Amino acid sequence: MTQATAPCCDANPDPRTLRGCCIGLSVATCLLFSGATTAADSFWSTIQLHGFAAQSVIKTSDNRFFGDSPDTSFDSTEIGVNASVRLDPKVLVAGQVLARRAGDMYDGTPSLDYALTDIALIASPERILGIRLGRVKNPLGLYNETRDVPFTRPGIFLPQVIYYDKVRNIVLSSDGAAVYGSLYNDLGEFSVTLVGGWPVLDDNVQWTYLGGDFPGTLRPNGSVWTGSLWYATVTEQLRFGLSGALASLRYAPHQNDILGPGQTDIVYGIASLQYSARRFTLSAEYGLEPVRWRRYGPLLPRQKVTSEGYYLQGTYRIRSNLELMACYEEGVADSDDRDGSEFAGVTGGLVPAHAMFSKIATVGLRWDPTPNLMLRAQYQWNQGTLVLSQLENPDFPRQREYWTLLALQVAFRF
Amino acid sequence: MTHRIASNPIHWPQWVAALAIIAMVLAFTPRWAPAQEIIANSGLPKTAITRNEARLFFSMKLGIWPNGAPVQVYVLPDDHPLHREFCTRVLGLYPYQLRRVWDRQVFSGTGQSPVTISSEAELIERTAASPGAVSYAAKPPDNPGVRVLPVK
Repeated sequence: MTQATAPCCDANPDPRTLRGCCIGLSVATCLLFSGATTAADSFWSTIQLHGFAAQSVIKTSDNRFFGDSPDTSFDSTEIGVNASVRLDPKVLVAGQVLARRAGDMYDGTPSLDYALTDIALIASPERILGIRLGRVKNPLGLYNETRDVPFTRPGIFLPQVIYYDKVRNIVLSSDGAAVYGSLYNDLGEFSVTLVGGWPVLDDNVQWTYLGGDFPGTLRPNGSVWTGSLWYATVTEQLRFGLSGALASLRYAPHQNDILGPGQTDIVYGIASLQYSARRFTLSAEYGLEPVRWRRYGPLLPRQKVTSEGYYLQGTYRIRSNLELMACYEEGVADSDDRDGSEFAGVTGGLVPAHAMFSKIATVGLRWDPTPNLMLRAQYQWNQGTLVLSQLENPDFPRQREYWTLLALQVAFRF
Repeated sequence: MTHRIASNPIHWPQWVAALAIIAMVLAFTPRWAPAQEIIANSGLPKTAITRNEARLFFSMKLGIWPNGAPVQVYVLPDDHPLHREFCTRVLGLYPYQLRRVWDRQVFSGTGQSPVTISSEAELIERTAASPGAVSYAAKPPDNPGVRVLPVK
C-alpha cells in the first residue's frame, strides 16, 4: 500500500549526490578543455548565473503539512543557484544546487539538483536533436523539471495528486543520459525526450512504497527510464503531452528483518494539456501509477495497486503582474477502492478510509511587484489525507478527514 | 430624434458617413504602437528570417545561425510596451509564454535566458556591437552596425 504505519525513521546519506556531481563535472571538464581553444573569446560572455529563494508560511486547521502547520509552520524554504556556460553554440554546461527545507521531509541540506552537458547534434529551424549527459531532470508532466522553482509553478504547491511532495526523488532526476529531439513545421512543434539513469532514493520513498521505515535498504533495481512526447501548436497556445516513468526498487533486508528480499515495480504515466490565451491559462493533467509488490513475505503480500489522480487548474491574469488561480484535484491510492472503505475494512479501521484519497479545492493569488519579487497567497479545502506525508503524520487516528490550509509565500529571483 | 431626422433629411446620412469613415480609419490603422522590426548584427550574412526561426531564436531554443555563428539574443524587460508588442505581433506569443519557456530552460539546465536591456537605444547599440546578435526595434534603426531582417 502507499500508506505507512511504522513510527520512526533515521536519515541515510545520499550516495547519489557525489556520483552525479562526478559525471557532470568530468564531462564538463573534458569539454572545457576542448571548447576553450575554439571559443575562448565568447566563452566568458556566455556565463549565466541565476537563482531563487522562497519562504512560505503554512497554517492548517488540522494535520501536519510541511512542518507543524496546525501551529503555523515556517518550515518551507527553497533556495537554488545555477550556473550555465556555452562552450560552443552547440554545447551547454549547466548545474544547479538546491537547498530545500520541507517540514520533516527535507532538512535543507544542499544537494546537486542537476549537473549536465547538453550537446546539440542537429540544430536547425526545422529540427533539433541532442543529448544530455550527467544528472538530468526527468521530463514528467508540465512541471516536474522545475518543480522546486516557485516562479515556474502555478501555485505555492504543485497539485499534490500528480506531483506528490511526500515522494519526489524517485521521479525528480536521473544520473545518466537523455536524448531529445524536436520537429518544427506548419502544424507546430513535436518533441520527444528519453532519459535513462539511476534515481535517488531516500526515507520518503521507503515510507511511501513500503509503508514504514524498515531496517533494510531500498535500492534501485537497475535503471529508471522516463520519457515524454509533446505536441504544441505553432504559437504554443495548445500543448499536449504524454510522459511516463518506469522504475523498479529492490529491498535488501537487514538481519532478522520482518520483510523478505522483495521487489517493487512502479509505472507512472501522465497525460497533460495546457491552453494559453492572453488573459488566462487552463491546465489539466491526469496521472496513473500502477505499483506491484513481490516477494516481501507474508507481511506485505504480493499485490498490484493502481493510484490515480487528476487536476483542473485555471489562472487568470488581471494585469501582467497580478494573477488569480483556481484548482480542483482528486487522487486515490487504489483505483479499485476509491473511497478507501475496502482498505479500512481490511485493516480493521487501523487505516481510516479517508487516508486513501484526497479531494482538494484551491484558490490563490500571485502578485509580482517587481520582476524579481513574487508574493503569493493560497487557500485550500481538503477532504481526505492521501497527500499528507506519513513521515509527518505517522499516527492515523489523529488525521482529520476535513482540513483547510492557508499558505503565504515570498519569493525572490535573480 | 425621429422628428429631428425628419426635419433635417440631408444631414443625418452625412453623420453616418462621417462615423463610418472614422470607424474604418480606426479599424484599419495599426494601433498606437509603432511597427516592429527584427534587427541583427550587420556582420551576419542573413538577409531575412522566417517567423519560425524568429520564435526559436527568441525562445532560446535554437542558439546557432545557419552559418554556425552563436546567436546572442537581447530583449527589453517583460513589461516594456515594445517587448509586449513585439512578442504578440511578430512572434505571435504572449510575453508570459516566452518567460515560461526561458524559466523552464534556465532552471532545468537545458538552456539559457536572453540578455535583458533596459532601453531600446541600448538594445540597438548592443546588437550593433555583438557579432551574432539579434533583437528588435520600433523602427529601422539609423545604425550601420545593425540590419533589419524582414520576416518572410
